[in-house]
Amino acid sequence: SSHEYKLNFKKSKEACLIYIQDALLQKQWKRAAEFLTCYVESLEKDYSREHIGPSEMIWRIGTEILWHHSQSNMKEFNCFMEQMKTLGVKRYLKVCLEHVFHLLCNGQIDEAYQNLSLAESWRFGEQTAIQDKEMKLIQAYRGLLDYYSWSKQKNILLEHGEDGFSDLAVEQEMHSYFRKAAVNLKEIIKIPGVWDIFVKCYVDLLEFYGDHNEARQVLNEYAYNSKFPANPNAHVYLYQFLKRQGESKKSLISALKILHDIVPSHELMIDFNTMLQKSKKRKKRRLGLEVIFAALDYAGWKENAKAWSCLARQVKQIVISEKHLDWIKQEWNSRKDWWPAFHFSRYLAKRNWQENKNLSYEKALVAGILLGKDCKYFKYVSHQGCKAQLKRFRMLKKFVNRHNPVYLRISG
Amino acid sequence: MEFPAALFSSYFGVGPPREESGPAPVAGWGEHGQVLEGGPARRQAQPAFVPRRGATGEKWEAADAAAVPVLLPSAGCWIPSPAPQDILYRSGLSRKLRAGKSGATLDFTRQLGHFFVDHPEDAFGSLGRLLHNNFYLGNSKLKVTVSRNSTIRMTALVEDIDRLEAQRGCPRQHLASRLRWFSHLCRDWLFEVPLGLLADSLHEELMQQWSNLFFDDSLTGGALAWLPPEDGGTPVGRLVHPGGQAMNHLYFQDVVLEELPRAQGSPAQFELSGRIRQVAAARVDGEDFVGVRSDYHCGVWRVPGRPGAAPAPLQVIRTNVPASCLTVSPHLSGELSVCTQSGTVYLWSVETGLQQLRRDPQTMFFRDHSPWRWSDFTAHPRVLSYADRTGLQCLDARAPKKCHFDLFKVGEEAGCQQGERVVLPMYLGRAHPSQYLVTTQFAVYMLDERLPLVPILKWTHMMKAPPLFAHLMPGNPGKRHRVLLGASRTQEMLLLQYWASFWGVSSGGSQSACQLAGTPQKLQSIAGCLQHLPTQLPHHHHLLQQRLAAPAAGLAATLQEDGPHKSMLVFQLSEAGDVFCQRLTHKAAQHPAPPSRDEATTAPGSSPLFEAPASSPQGLGTAALRYRRWLRALSRACREPPQNTWPPSLSQRRLFTRRDLEGLAGPSSLQRQVRQRLRQAMQEGSRIQPWEPLALQPAPLPQTLELAGGPDPLSTRLTAAWAGDWEQWWEERTSFSVAQRQRALRERRRRQKRARGRRSLSASFTSSLTYQSELSELSDTGPLLLSPSRPPIPSHEGSPPAGSPLVHSPPTSPAPDEALLSSQSLRCRGIPKERRKTLRDYLSVWAEGPPEPPEPPGSQASQLCIPSSQSQLSSASQPRRKRPRMGF
Repeated sequence: SSHEYKLNFKKSKEACLIYIQDALLQKQWKRAAEFLTCYVESLEKDYSREHIGPSEMIWRIGTEILWHHSQSNMKEFNCFMEQMKTLGVKRYLKVCLEHVFHLLCNGQIDEAYQNLSLAESWRFGEQTAIQDKEMKLIQAYRGLLDYYSWSKQKNILLEHGEDGFSDLAVEQEMHSYFRKAAVNLKEIIKIPGVWDIFVKCYVDLLEFYGDHNEARQVLNEYAYNSKFPANPNAHVYLYQFLKRQGESKKSLISALKILHDIVPSHELMIDFNTMLQKSKKRKKRRLGLEVIFAALDYAGWKENAKAWSCLARQVKQIVISEKHLDWIKQEWNSRKDWWPAFHFSRYLAKRNWQENKNLSYEKALVAGILLGKDCKYFKYVSHQGCKAQLKRFRMLKKFVNRHNPVYLRISG
Repeated sequence: MEFPAALFSSYFGVGPPREESGPAPVAGWGEHGQVLEGGPARRQAQPAFVPRRGATGEKWEAADAAAVPVLLPSAGCWIPSPAPQDILYRSGLSRKLRAGKSGATLDFTRQLGHFFVDHPEDAFGSLGRLLHNNFYLGNSKLKVTVSRNSTIRMTALVEDIDRLEAQRGCPRQHLASRLRWFSHLCRDWLFEVPLGLLADSLHEELMQQWSNLFFDDSLTGGALAWLPPEDGGTPVGRLVHPGGQAMNHLYFQDVVLEELPRAQGSPAQFELSGRIRQVAAARVDGEDFVGVRSDYHCGVWRVPGRPGAAPAPLQVIRTNVPASCLTVSPHLSGELSVCTQSGTVYLWSVETGLQQLRRDPQTMFFRDHSPWRWSDFTAHPRVLSYADRTGLQCLDARAPKKCHFDLFKVGEEAGCQQGERVVLPMYLGRAHPSQYLVTTQFAVYMLDERLPLVPILKWTHMMKAPPLFAHLMPGNPGKRHRVLLGASRTQEMLLLQYWASFWGVSSGGSQSACQLAGTPQKLQSIAGCLQHLPTQLPHHHHLLQQRLAAPAAGLAATLQEDGPHKSMLVFQLSEAGDVFCQRLTHKAAQHPAPPSRDEATTAPGSSPLFEAPASSPQGLGTAALRYRRWLRALSRACREPPQNTWPPSLSQRRLFTRRDLEGLAGPSSLQRQVRQRLRQAMQEGSRIQPWEPLALQPAPLPQTLELAGGPDPLSTRLTAAWAGDWEQWWEERTSFSVAQRQRALRERRRRQKRARGRRSLSASFTSSLTYQSELSELSDTGPLLLSPSRPPIPSHEGSPPAGSPLVHSPPTSPAPDEALLSSQSLRCRGIPKERRKTLRDYLSVWAEGPPEPPEPPGSQASQLCIPSSQSQLSSASQPRRKRPRMGF
């Protein structure tokens, strides 16, 4: 009966799929390919109501096999992709996009561009929300490729410009690339998302043509629009733009302050701290201390000699001037129960001394001031340093011994 | 750590997941996802692109055809966790009732019955003691005494119950009106715990067990930990794993890393008061801290770094609600985080004790019924992550109420599907300080806590069961890291590789985003080795299959770099307590792939594992030797003397009353004799052997061993095979020690000479006797528990009790029983007609000649059963199948 036939067919189809899956997961590409040729039959009688139908399965499995199969080549891959595009109307754009990605990764930029243009002109009935998103991406990637062409033309022009020779045709071509790129890039970065490369390219275009206001607006939007995710790069791009524009220290600091609030462990915090330390305002210097303490809370900064030297410098300054010891005290209060074990254990003293003398010097200074001269870390490092006859460490020992009362005031 | 200069593009939406789909079998293949500029080289000023998924990965190849046992199986058999057939109701009636309905019916009454039988004190303790004198369970009539008025005879009721047991599923159950009458009468007062309350609890427990069959989240995190050797030290690491029958022993086993890891010395062992669910470990300042979670207890051990140092228990906490998570801080020594099913998360410091960070029985982002909670550490030692099935949050332990942010949400933010739930979050700090892994039943997500909510990587893992275990093997900075995912029920293991960040050339040499490298690779599971093992006897095969297919309970792995050779050792723990290991070797990427054996499927039994490589001195690979030893230890462990096999007893009293057996006329001497023996046998409860005149002296029972000279090789082999020692037999046979063989030969010849004198017909039966006795040894093994007890062997071998001599030769004169059984003689004894047949059947069983040829014990009891109405007696005396441990 037909029902039984359907059932048997379904069973053998499932079994075949399991074999394919097994082969793929064990990287047996040839075996998987053989099974896939059998599985193609399932297209004929497609009874499935699952959201991934056989045509999508064949696309996915086939692509994976062709990526890895020792005898596959680009031509065959393209051929397969073309077939897959016609197989499932709903997934046309998705397949196109993936095809383009593969071409791009293999350096076939021109073919990718052609494919993008083709896909862009595709229309079929009413677009679903997903298809709409995919179409926007296709346009954006085309814009990106246009941008690369633009920048290529720009480089040619700049080289030629040095020779004092300007080519009008090249310039015009460049401008047309700019227009095409700008239109598409502008579209996608309006939609909430992570669009780092698109934003960077678009801002580059705008800056070249001197549209700084538009660029600033785009970057502000990307960084501060609450519909977008809290992407640290958005703030970094804005900061870099402001720096390029030669903006005032104040605006740079305020941009970094926001970055500090969302990502206290960002690597720009060292720049931020140096900037703040140099400031004449007490409040800013205070913020600098906070920033560097906060950064060193994170495991990723544990062995960052630069950060430790920033902290050591500022702490040393404060101790010498004997002003604002309360700043240190306040920062230390919330950390004194776990920093000793986290940063200043004897084990770490040994390891840091072996691996990075510089780091252990800076850390020992901080440890000596915060925990006194009897702290394990300081004792070990200064002992080793004196044993190794390093002048720096002898000075360090003297300094800490002289300022030992500070420790009592901080911890008290 | 620097933040990537550019991230892969993605849309960002908010709100509940929109995508409506289910598990997709192939959804992880064939997608690059996105591309980003930043390839290794720029040629002709063209931008180079890298994909989010599909970059080249390392090539790892399995060194052996199957996973190999690391440790010998522990003594004592493993108690399997409940299977569906233990919980489900099965009978013809229910099948009829259920026809068309898909819902499963839980066998509530059976479980309640088990409770009453197993815990009578708890069920009816006080009333049982009170009524004890008023219930009479004997067979004889109650004598008229003082107690006559206050004592009732319960025998009939018990029989009814037995009968009911035998007629399970019989549609005419309503006949048991006596039972119903009794239960109506005493339901309200007999039980210690009110029946309704008890039933509620039991039902809850049953539902819990039933849902655990689908997905048991108590194992999340896994109960296996590997403590790697110290850098530059001897290659001796430690394996921390649970063991014992109830998995309540904690072992710290030193393991030498050789070609195949080898256990060294005996393990440090701790007995805990509950089943170990999770073992977590982290290394801080050169010392390992091991956290162990059972349902109501969590403990922490410190293991000093130097080899050979004993692990020291530090602290134990007890919780009122089962704990669902225990993780060890990678930053500060002696800090752990604990979650309980009531939605509480604690920071547990060995020095300062517990600090409650949050208590919220509700889930975070939307309502989900699961009480499962999880917590882990983050890049900041004072910030902990807190997870339930709906997502992850990060809490600052210094101000948990005020300072927190959402790290992951099941929703449109991460592009989740409807119905997707968090299964296991894990901090990937050893690879990258700010990265996080979150697995759901459909996909794996990589998160960066500096960019919350947006996964930096997402991949549909296509595993058949949700990944409950994960293990990270960090590579060098800027290199590929590897993550192992493991599922419990299906034992699946998947190896993924990723770049935490790569160096983009065109983006100015700064770090770029996270990438999935290579294709995922499936590793061998424990169950997969079955097909490579030598062919087993069917019942051994079944036993082995059950053992090897036990759900996985944890995984661990380690990388071993030996100059240019890199290899990966992956350990997998099963719920039966077995630890298996497989070795993967690293292959250089440009190496042309030779037609390796993995493209061909291996036929069962003809495994490369057991093919003798020419290079090996022993003639077999190390792996094969490991297996051999493991198999032998397993069969030894499961062959302990049975504890509860008693001969099935038949109540002969109900068959005949004394008057039935008393003859009218004076019995002949033979009859008297027979009757006397019958009575004696009944008193002893032993079996009646074929009748024969006493004058015939039994042949002296020959020693089994001494007869071995006679049987041909085939029968010895069969004998050995039945006893399960076939392998040993083969070894003996093929043993190349000539001297040994000669000695054996000489010995045999000597024995033959000695035995020649007393060889008789009976010799041919003794071999069957040895089968029996050896079968009895085997009958303790797992699946055989299902079988009814073996036929009674009334006497010990070689020492027949006086009066019931063991005779193995067929009866020389069948006349006496013929006479006894003829219907005339029965009638003249006044035995009612309807019982005559029964009696004849009964006696004919014992009157049969030589013992039956050996058969699987399962079928023997049925022969012995008296047909018809008495069958329930024997079935009642069968040992029940070992029940899974329920919550009581």
